[in-house]
Amino acid sequence: MNLKQRLVPYWLLGPGLLWLILFFVVPMYFMGELALRSGSLTTGFTLTWEWANFPDSLSGHTEQILRSFFFAGTATLLALLIGYPLAYAIAFRAGRYKPLLLFAVIAPFFTTYLIRTIAWKTILSDDSPVVSVLQALALVPEDGRVLATPAAVIAGLTYNFLPFMILPLYANLERLDLRLVEAAKDLYASSRTAFVKVTLPLTMPGIVAGVLLTFIPAFGDYINAQLLGGTGQAMVGNVIQSLYLNQRDYPEAAALSFLMMALILAIVTVYIRFAGTGAFMGDEDEGRA
Amino acid sequence: MKGMTTAVAIFVLALALAACGGDTVGGGGNSSEATVAKGGPVKGQLTISNWPGYIDPGPQGTVAEFEKDSGVSVDYIEDVNDNNTFFGKLQPQLEQGQSGGRSIFVVTDWMAKQMYDLGYLQEIDPNDLPTVFENLVPNLENPSFDPGRKFSIPWQSGMTGIWVDTAKAPGIKSVNDLFDPKYKGKVTFLEEMRDSVPLVMKAEGVDPEEATDADWEKAIERIKGAADSGQIRAFTGNNYTEELTAGNIVAAVGWSGDASIVENPNAEWRMPTEGCVLWSDNMVIPVGAPNVGAAFGWMDFVYQPEVAADLTEYITYVSPVDGVQDVLRKSNPQLANDPLVFPSAEFQENCSTQDSPPDVETVSAAWADTVAG
Repeated sequence: MNLKQRLVPYWLLGPGLLWLILFFVVPMYFMGELALRSGSLTTGFTLTWEWANFPDSLSGHTEQILRSFFFAGTATLLALLIGYPLAYAIAFRAGRYKPLLLFAVIAPFFTTYLIRTIAWKTILSDDSPVVSVLQALALVPEDGRVLATPAAVIAGLTYNFLPFMILPLYANLERLDLRLVEAAKDLYASSRTAFVKVTLPLTMPGIVAGVLLTFIPAFGDYINAQLLGGTGQAMVGNVIQSLYLNQRDYPEAAALSFLMMALILAIVTVYIRFAGTGAFMGDEDEGRA
Repeated sequence: MKGMTTAVAIFVLALALAACGGDTVGGGGNSSEATVAKGGPVKGQLTISNWPGYIDPGPQGTVAEFEKDSGVSVDYIEDVNDNNTFFGKLQPQLEQGQSGGRSIFVVTDWMAKQMYDLGYLQEIDPNDLPTVFENLVPNLENPSFDPGRKFSIPWQSGMTGIWVDTAKAPGIKSVNDLFDPKYKGKVTFLEEMRDSVPLVMKAEGVDPEEATDADWEKAIERIKGAADSGQIRAFTGNNYTEELTAGNIVAAVGWSGDASIVENPNAEWRMPTEGCVLWSDNMVIPVGAPNVGAAFGWMDFVYQPEVAADLTEYITYVSPVDGVQDVLRKSNPQLANDPLVFPSAEFQENCSTQDSPPDVETVSAAWADTVAG
């Protein structure tokens, strides 16, 4: 191999690396620096290595952080419960309707996220038919409501991030070797056992990817809580938005963003360890073996 | 699954960027001598930022008429839903001496003052605005925050009080009624601290213009309690009008002139028994504003009584232009006698001028915690 050939991988890496430096490393640097400043809007923010910003940013906001975990976690679980059977059906039972159904999963993306969430505001408004039906079924108390409750926020998160769960699951299920399920049944496994012992482990990579792709954006989301939630339903994203836009405490907003990123990173690391690195990192043979 | 790894990486990245929101360091302190805006010919392109529902739209609307009259092409954006958020969005640009292409913002008194103090606004020479200074109503000529109108030209004035759905809650007359458990989860307050908190202080018998930090904090505490218990459904910007229209709420702390955007025939604005909060929204010229000549042209245009009367007829706020009532007496006598549009001194007897707490920073932080509960 001559020098030119050996440089090829680096050339190929170039654009991606440049992108990362420009839009990830550089902003991270500025944000990190901002998190260590102190001052106010009128006096200006000066770099004083104010490490106290980090603990300060957490104080008084633990409730919203825990709530974010609960909301995003529930939404992820719901998305998995809804998305798995759907992806399964599309992969194995849809026949010639497969492209149409996949299109239906992606179609909502042709409208912006914000408009779709605002539409839910109308659908779930207190006097809407949907709420009347829920009241008639006693799922919602007679004088109760859906909008401006935790349920509305969780439903919004589930709805908005559902395709991020379905698509990786589908991609994974679609390549499932059905002969393995057949073999399991030949060996007297019931459908249930075959699913639990064969299909589920083989689709673990899809589940891991889907859970990450749903949980991470749902955790940081603030639109759903803002539009569909009411008082006492703010998530950590709303806190950061308020710190940044309303209170203009830029250092604390930056510090809190940093801590949340670190937290997510830690959770993802543990999760991947737990769910099997090999399966996630593209080493599919490990899963298949 | 390599593709998935990349996708996750991109997501982490997007999240990081979203959370980061720009690399500006912020900080004001450039409040050196404010520059005086330089006029010019009224032509070219003009961008105006205003609140939603604050103009008469359509081919006969004020914008269209101004375009026809002057040849200026106007980009009229309704992106001010709340003073704080608008300021937060523009602050990094203003800090760099840029206005995001906008020549005029419309912001409330205290925000105009805050922007001016930070050096984000240009001063206005009265000689550039002959129509404005001829027709401006006398009681708005010398407000305490800007005596002589050096940097702010009133757009409209109004009152903060209570919007009530009279079919569902005819009994609401005082701000205290909003805390009645009967209306639990059916009431909204404004995110704007200087609207919501003084109203509650008044309901407790405190004069907001004389209030101490402790008075502010006590009122905030009361609002926070109501928010935590679910009495208050949400804190809103202008969007309380949508909640009223959709029938989600029975009452809201809101602004007097919003009848044009509340599409609920049973909703009416009521003067609270303990009085209202008075304010004005002002046109200001930010630093770095392009085409100031056209901006001046616009200001003078909307200060002609006939133009202002058309506007008043549509948006039903209190006009700062002298002579509007005379024009309307002929064309729309009912509106000319509407106390919300032409409030008499007796009607506003118990009202207070909108003011900030003594220690803005501490009180604002307590308020922000209440709003983002």
